Amino acid sequence: MNILEIEAIDTFIGQFHILEGVSLSVPLGAITVILGRNGAGKTTTLRSIMGMTPPRSGSIRFEGKPIGGKRPYTIAQMGIGYVPEHRAIFKELSVHQNLEIAERRRGDLHRQAAFIFELFPDLERLAHLSGGALSGGQQQMLAIARALVPDNRLLLIDEPSEGLAPVIIEHLMAAIKRLSGQMTVLLVEQNFRMASRLAEHYAIIEEGRSVATGAMADLRGDEVLIRRYLGVTTGGAA
Amino acid sequence: MWRLLRANWLPLIILVFLIAFPFIVGALTASSPLGLLRGDRVIMRGDSVRWQAVLIEVFILAILAMSYNLLFGFTGVISFGHALFFGLGGYTLGIMLERTDLAKGSALIVGIVVGLVLSGLISVLIGLVSLRLRGVYFTIFTLAIAQMFFIYFSRLELTNAEDGFAIGALPGWLDPSQDRLGFYYLALGLFAFTFLLIRRLIHSPTGAIFQAIRENEDRARAIGYNTLTFKLIALALAGMIAAVAGMLFVILNKKVGPEILSVTYTVNPLLMTIIGGIGTFAGPIVGASSLHLLDTIFRDLTITIGGSAIKIADVWDLLLGLIFIAVVLIFPKGFSGLWLARQKKPRPDAKL
Amino acid sequence: MIKQSQRTSIIAIIVIFGGLIGFSFVTAGSLGDFGITMLSGLFQGMLLFLVASGLSIVFGLMGVLNFAQGGFFMLGAYVAYDIQHPGGLIDLTGAIPDPNVRFIFAVVGAAIVGAVLGFGFERGLLRPLYARPVFQLVLTFGVSLVIVQVVKALWTTTPYSWTETFGVREGFFELFGQRFSTYRLFVVVSGFALIAAIWLLLQRTRIGIIIRAGVEDSAMVEALGINVRAVFAFVFTLGCAVATLGGAIAAPFLGASAGLGDSFLLASIAVVVLGGLGSYGGTAIGSLLVGLAVSVVASYATRYLNAPVWASLTPMLLLILVLLIRPSGLFGEER
Repeated sequence: MNILEIEAIDTFIGQFHILEGVSLSVPLGAITVILGRNGAGKTTTLRSIMGMTPPRSGSIRFEGKPIGGKRPYTIAQMGIGYVPEHRAIFKELSVHQNLEIAERRRGDLHRQAAFIFELFPDLERLAHLSGGALSGGQQQMLAIARALVPDNRLLLIDEPSEGLAPVIIEHLMAAIKRLSGQMTVLLVEQNFRMASRLAEHYAIIEEGRSVATGAMADLRGDEVLIRRYLGVTTGGAA
Repeated sequence: MWRLLRANWLPLIILVFLIAFPFIVGALTASSPLGLLRGDRVIMRGDSVRWQAVLIEVFILAILAMSYNLLFGFTGVISFGHALFFGLGGYTLGIMLERTDLAKGSALIVGIVVGLVLSGLISVLIGLVSLRLRGVYFTIFTLAIAQMFFIYFSRLELTNAEDGFAIGALPGWLDPSQDRLGFYYLALGLFAFTFLLIRRLIHSPTGAIFQAIRENEDRARAIGYNTLTFKLIALALAGMIAAVAGMLFVILNKKVGPEILSVTYTVNPLLMTIIGGIGTFAGPIVGASSLHLLDTIFRDLTITIGGSAIKIADVWDLLLGLIFIAVVLIFPKGFSGLWLARQKKPRPDAKL
Repeated sequence: MIKQSQRTSIIAIIVIFGGLIGFSFVTAGSLGDFGITMLSGLFQGMLLFLVASGLSIVFGLMGVLNFAQGGFFMLGAYVAYDIQHPGGLIDLTGAIPDPNVRFIFAVVGAAIVGAVLGFGFERGLLRPLYARPVFQLVLTFGVSLVIVQVVKALWTTTPYSWTETFGVREGFFELFGQRFSTYRLFVVVSGFALIAAIWLLLQRTRIGIIIRAGVEDSAMVEALGINVRAVFAFVFTLGCAVATLGGAIAAPFLGASAGLGDSFLLASIAVVVLGGLGSYGGTAIGSLLVGLAVSVVASYATRYLNAPVWASLTPMLLLILVLLIRPSGLFGEER
């Protein structure tokens, strides 16, 4: 069963045609990764799902219900959490306020606090610091934690490893792996090694088109596909 | 030759019409385009002469709006200090004519040259200190500078503070109260020249860089253009053209006062550009003429609604406000946007 | 928490404030003159804040520079005048004979008028234009023209000067041998109360946290499942209500005239920009700074230079100075 079904969406930014018929299925309860070169349209795909760059045509269904044409906040309220690239945490707010603001019902944070602080123990210690005072890794953890506060069934995570040290990436990977036990994750990741270890499914986007999808296990053995679309070898990191 | 005519049929027809206009109005209203002869002097009376003045003001406002559009529409630089250059041109010319010992003719030449040089220099100076400011900070910085000039000249004794001063020392051929028709053709000529100059400029490589800056300044810089230099060029040119408009304006009214430095003369070209169509060649002209003509035609009108007579002049600002609101909400690309849409020429959005 | 980059701003502010106060102390003829200059500076700063606060939060969150803010300030003065005085559109003199109580009604009434009109303005006119900021600017300018005309139609073009007296407006108090109107003090106290109220709203309430987050990144706030447009409507309504409230509070001192809005608008824009766009604290400090500077310069320039023009130039001069030192204002985000 698929929690998210994207069918042939076309998305424009200004006069630029960014997505030209992207289709994608996200199986329930697993981690799916979107792969592709820089500028292929990975981030725009996530933003199209959220309704932040609404597609002009095609359809997106979440848990069977169409979400195309809806405003981003209603899409989020249906149960989708968004962790954008560059984290987009609120620097002027405290760590605690960054989490609190994501509540959809009073008490969301209280209910989820134990789970969040078990995943990211640092955040509990830093709760009263302002978001801008955190390191890059801590900001990334906060951005993911923020998406865990309300009752989300699907998490969209954009480039979590970007600009972070290997130790921190390991820590984040473990956390994402753990939380995927509770919800579905759709990940955009340049770091192929990280992606291939984490995800069970993959989709490759090339110049705004989806060119390949399948099980991660199959992709790992398919040197040709990897070299053609991702420009990396299985052995090397991105 | 034929191709050139075909491609420019509309501007050419309009130009021919404008050249003939004083005579057309004269023929229709049986008034002389030269004014009335009273004894041995000519006085400026009659419909033709009156309409010449209206159109002269349209030309002046259109020149001002075109200069603003060069910055705002084509280069993407949003300055709120444009009135400064309009006023500076007017004040420089006025001071040279009325507050120096120079003879009429030389005062005129010195006034024009100094006015242009000063406007160019001050634009570049302001640009140098302020163009590193981003977005609204730049816009408000230019507003602050212009306001300072406005306040300063509103209190300056040399120029009669708020009352301003009259210009009497004009050579006869330039004096609109002696030779209206001559001044009409001068203003028309400058108007046509500005139109051609800006069109030529925008179609040149320099103009392409202006538009690249408007679309995405960071990218233009990344390609290797020194965007600051090009923005300074745009500022200086727009400032000098606005100064020309200001000079024509004070000659037409034969008066210099601080109102020519006020925000009004920044807001007017801004609104005219938007109403006509941002970043189009015709936009500022359409905006300036429609606003000024509406103003002239309706100002003296009285309409009766349910027994109570309403003088349009009393509610003109209200109508103007409503027009702005309506245009902004209903015709986002301005009046000339409607024309362009009909022609179905794809045009890149001005993204403003 | 003070960021490194803000340290220079804070030092600059202390230097400017200290310099102004010291300069005024040295050049003032007497302690009484010094007192007048200081109090009048506070007073003018607060008047500026009444217009600038709404401009600031609306710009910070929505990116809209609301040129009609001055018009709302002026409208507030008229509404308050109308409610307080006999005759006019709303005559409460019979229903509420006590002028003190009536003044409270006048202020609250003005705030309600501002809120209702502001809400309609945002819903009906601004909302379709969020993707086109320059058009919003033109729109707010158009609205400001309409407000002036409607006010002239409702209350004629002759300016009103406030005649009704009541409690705080009548009194005087003495400081360093000089008499001060208690109403000036009332305006100063109201201004500080408003600063505190908005500050509490921003710091301590959920909507305040959402507003502050929205100032940084409204798209992200929306992606969290919050209806940002509803927050925009709230903030715009609040901004307009604060402006009319300010006009009402200023009216007993300044009266009501059609040009009232314009006279405050430009200086308020200067305040908001020099304080740093999107920074509420910057606006509060900027208001005080400009108010004090205007007052000090005015007293010095009239006494020694015989050139009162310098006082009018001060807000713009200060703005230019600040932007040359810090291109994004005292507390603005460096971008």
